[in-house]
Amino acid sequence: MIGKTNPVPAPAERTVRSFTLNGEPVAVAAPPSRRLLDVLRHDLLLTGTKIGCEIGRCGACMVLVDGQPMNACLTMLYQVEGRRVTTIEGIAGGADAMHAVQRAFLEEGGYQCGYCTPGMIVSAAALLAENPDPTDEEIIEALSGNLCRCTGYGGILRAVRRAAAIGREADG
Amino acid sequence: MLNRETAGDRWRVRPDGPGKVTGRLAYLTDLAAPDMLYGLVLRSPHPHARIRAIRTERAAALPGVRAVVTHRDVPGLNAFGISRQDQPVFCFDLVRYVGDAVAAVAAESIEAAERALELIEVDYEPLPVLDSPEKALAEGAPKLHPQGNVMHSNEYKCGNADAAFAACAHVVEETYSTPRQMHTYLETEGGLFVPEPDGRLTVYAPTQHGLLDRLQLARILAVPEDRIRVVSSPIGGSFGGKDELNIQPYGALLALAAGRPVKIHNSRRESVRAGLKRHPMTITMKTGIDASGRLLAHRVRIVADTGPYATLGAEVLNFATEHVIGPYRYEHVDVESVSVYTNNGMSGEFRGFGGNQAIFALEGQMDRLAERIGMDPWDFRLLNLRRMGDPGPFGQSIAQTDGAYQVWRKLKESALWQERAEGRNAGDRNAGGRGTGNRDGEARFPVNPAGTARPPWIRTGIGAALVMHGFGFGVGLPDPAAGRLRLAEDGKIEAVFGYEEFGQGLLATLEMLMIETFGFAPDDLRLIIGDTDRVPDSGSSTASRTTTMMWQALRRMEVPFRRKMLEAAAILINRPAGSLKLGPGGVADADGGELLVRYADIAGKTAEPIAAETHFHFPTSDSEKIGAHFLYSYSAVAVKAEVDLLTGRVRVLEQYHAVAAGPVVNPMGYVGQIEGGSGMALGYALMEDAVMENGRYLTGNLDTYLIPTIADLSGSIAVEPIEDLPDGDPYGPRGLGEIGSVGLAPAIAAAVRDATGVRVSRLPIDPALLIGRPRDLWKAVSGQ
Repeated sequence: MIGKTNPVPAPAERTVRSFTLNGEPVAVAAPPSRRLLDVLRHDLLLTGTKIGCEIGRCGACMVLVDGQPMNACLTMLYQVEGRRVTTIEGIAGGADAMHAVQRAFLEEGGYQCGYCTPGMIVSAAALLAENPDPTDEEIIEALSGNLCRCTGYGGILRAVRRAAAIGREADG
Repeated sequence: MLNRETAGDRWRVRPDGPGKVTGRLAYLTDLAAPDMLYGLVLRSPHPHARIRAIRTERAAALPGVRAVVTHRDVPGLNAFGISRQDQPVFCFDLVRYVGDAVAAVAAESIEAAERALELIEVDYEPLPVLDSPEKALAEGAPKLHPQGNVMHSNEYKCGNADAAFAACAHVVEETYSTPRQMHTYLETEGGLFVPEPDGRLTVYAPTQHGLLDRLQLARILAVPEDRIRVVSSPIGGSFGGKDELNIQPYGALLALAAGRPVKIHNSRRESVRAGLKRHPMTITMKTGIDASGRLLAHRVRIVADTGPYATLGAEVLNFATEHVIGPYRYEHVDVESVSVYTNNGMSGEFRGFGGNQAIFALEGQMDRLAERIGMDPWDFRLLNLRRMGDPGPFGQSIAQTDGAYQVWRKLKESALWQERAEGRNAGDRNAGGRGTGNRDGEARFPVNPAGTARPPWIRTGIGAALVMHGFGFGVGLPDPAAGRLRLAEDGKIEAVFGYEEFGQGLLATLEMLMIETFGFAPDDLRLIIGDTDRVPDSGSSTASRTTTMMWQALRRMEVPFRRKMLEAAAILINRPAGSLKLGPGGVADADGGELLVRYADIAGKTAEPIAAETHFHFPTSDSEKIGAHFLYSYSAVAVKAEVDLLTGRVRVLEQYHAVAAGPVVNPMGYVGQIEGGSGMALGYALMEDAVMENGRYLTGNLDTYLIPTIADLSGSIAVEPIEDLPDGDPYGPRGLGEIGSVGLAPAIAAAVRDATGVRVSRLPIDPALLIGRPRDLWKAVSGQ
């Protein structure tokens, strides 16, 4: 059976960098300029963060660094030292939990192939954390760095509206 | 309108949804093996060159390199192609485009593989670059293939068009050009290739037809097909772009050469360079009508740039040849089409399959003709529309529906079209004059929700287009279908199909069909697709065919499978089978619905396995015209767009889609196909073109190849399904996967005309055409 078990990365001038990943402390021995994308996908086997363009244009690799959305392809390991990194695997705050944005994407059909979905959800979760009741314009602004080729964004827009409504219901 | 509210309980969470929203679903490019190597492909730096020598010794000697392969290492057929095997796995004498593969390496690290590619020396002698069909067809042009540069040609003629033009009251001639659109699936091509201990090879790589990849790889590797297993789902988007082999030959050859698993995952840059695009086409139309507006004669010439190799280019051209005729009646038709080999990028299969280009041109003609005689463009279409009972575009027999008229009527009644009619009646419009198309009547500077007046350099317009789109492969091509149902040993009901899930919602649709056909619960089911060791030959997941084929397969298997299940239960619980029914979790009392025996308790208790299997062929026309379609879907699209005369930019504000494609099997999927397809069409109309110069891409990544963002697609979309089919129609739900990607582009062109008076004949629409002249700008700021 093929699983997610990568070989050890090739040795280079590695240093150990520590950060918090999805609530847990981690220490990664790697070159300081190694892309966070490779640290996540290759070294730590967290493949929920996707790879689409490697130049920060598609948002498939969006993660949170101290709560702010960042493209993991443009972020280097040393830049996250001592900081909090949250990936799609940790966005809900627990292994079996589901974030309101994730539930809303399921209910509204905010995905098709699903490849942009982790990054899209991370961006939407960051928006709602900062602005629980966004206007459509604010949603569009927050998601304009995430490309989706399947949905035409209709289901995504409805899902983020729905997630905001779930949040309001929870507060009310 | 179809949406979550109107769909009610039938709006269901997809079975593949939880894995997708949590990131837990492993795509095939997420897989890794403990001792795997990294593979890379060396591609040609030249659009056209002769290969003088290939030297790989230095690369092979590099530490960490485990395999270097070239044409010398292909044990079987050094060529591939779904329809025609004219694409070398590895080039050996000529390279014909910048994506051509010359060698491949596998190494312990990406870095070592990259270094190895640099150490491969290839001596090239550059040759003249045929970067357009015109150059490739010119006398004396070098031949890219032994038979010359015409990859394929086709024609359809009836009556005598040339003579008929003399009798026409009006004739419109126009040449339409369409861009090299990129599929831009978010997951680039890639996969994992694993040599198994028993000598077999397992290929984990996306494709739209696993069994066909297996066949093609078996030819290349010179091994029996059953020595190869292709696991091909889930897929991070395809749209036709992963239908043909891409990295599979290289991964397979490297894994076998190294005796270790090999992973390849294309960078976006490599995906752009090597991957398929939509065929750029130049379509010249001359269409004539009589004084009352009836179409008399239609003459069409299509020139398609297919790039260096065929893949399904011939079939795309056949499709375009049929769809430039489309849903209208003419006495005289004269279509000639040609698809030409060039040194540009690969063109091939892409959602819409030649229909996008054809229908952009055809609908442009209808609008121009209507305007020529001062008719409403929609009424003009009705006057000439094929109606129920009419043959198809090639004069072929087709499955009869009233779809063309149904979508026509729904659009006519739509709020958007009414709004357009009211704007016309208000009289403040000028169909012909540039920049005079403000159709807002009294509210010349209408107030937007923010309370500010709409500036005078913003013009809005409404346009529409009608689409008749064939699905399935058509006459003369093998188009098999198959499915299997089985009660597994653990009590799960297995539904097994050789189809692929690339996002369209195939699994969700199959689950709904199983639930609604038999009464099973989702937990009773195990859906098995995308694995050549397990599936029957259901044909490809292309041509908008899978929902129809699954529906037909279940219709064929429904009665025998239910009977076997109930008979087995009847014996077990000693009750007549006629008093039982299938239900959630198990067999139940037919009247009371009380659960009598769980499926797990039936499994393994029968003498014979409980299973049903069906094999059949996609229904085809009795025509002899290759590629002629038998089944069609119809749509009508209205769009309201806004043009900024200062920037020339077009914004789509509202879309309305009436779609006649039979019953809605999966509402979420249905809406998603139309919304998603039209999003692609918006990109096609307004921004997308993989521009090439001298056979080289001027774009390499998503910084210069722009696809619509959420900001571009924030307008409203209404989707109205028309589900009626004629009584006794045996074919079921019609194809929906492509039709949404077709009609919006011509509708936007019509809306732009309505807004600005500018007629567009080239996509994507060039903003420079729409920028107001200084006089307009002066008027805009002075208010006079």
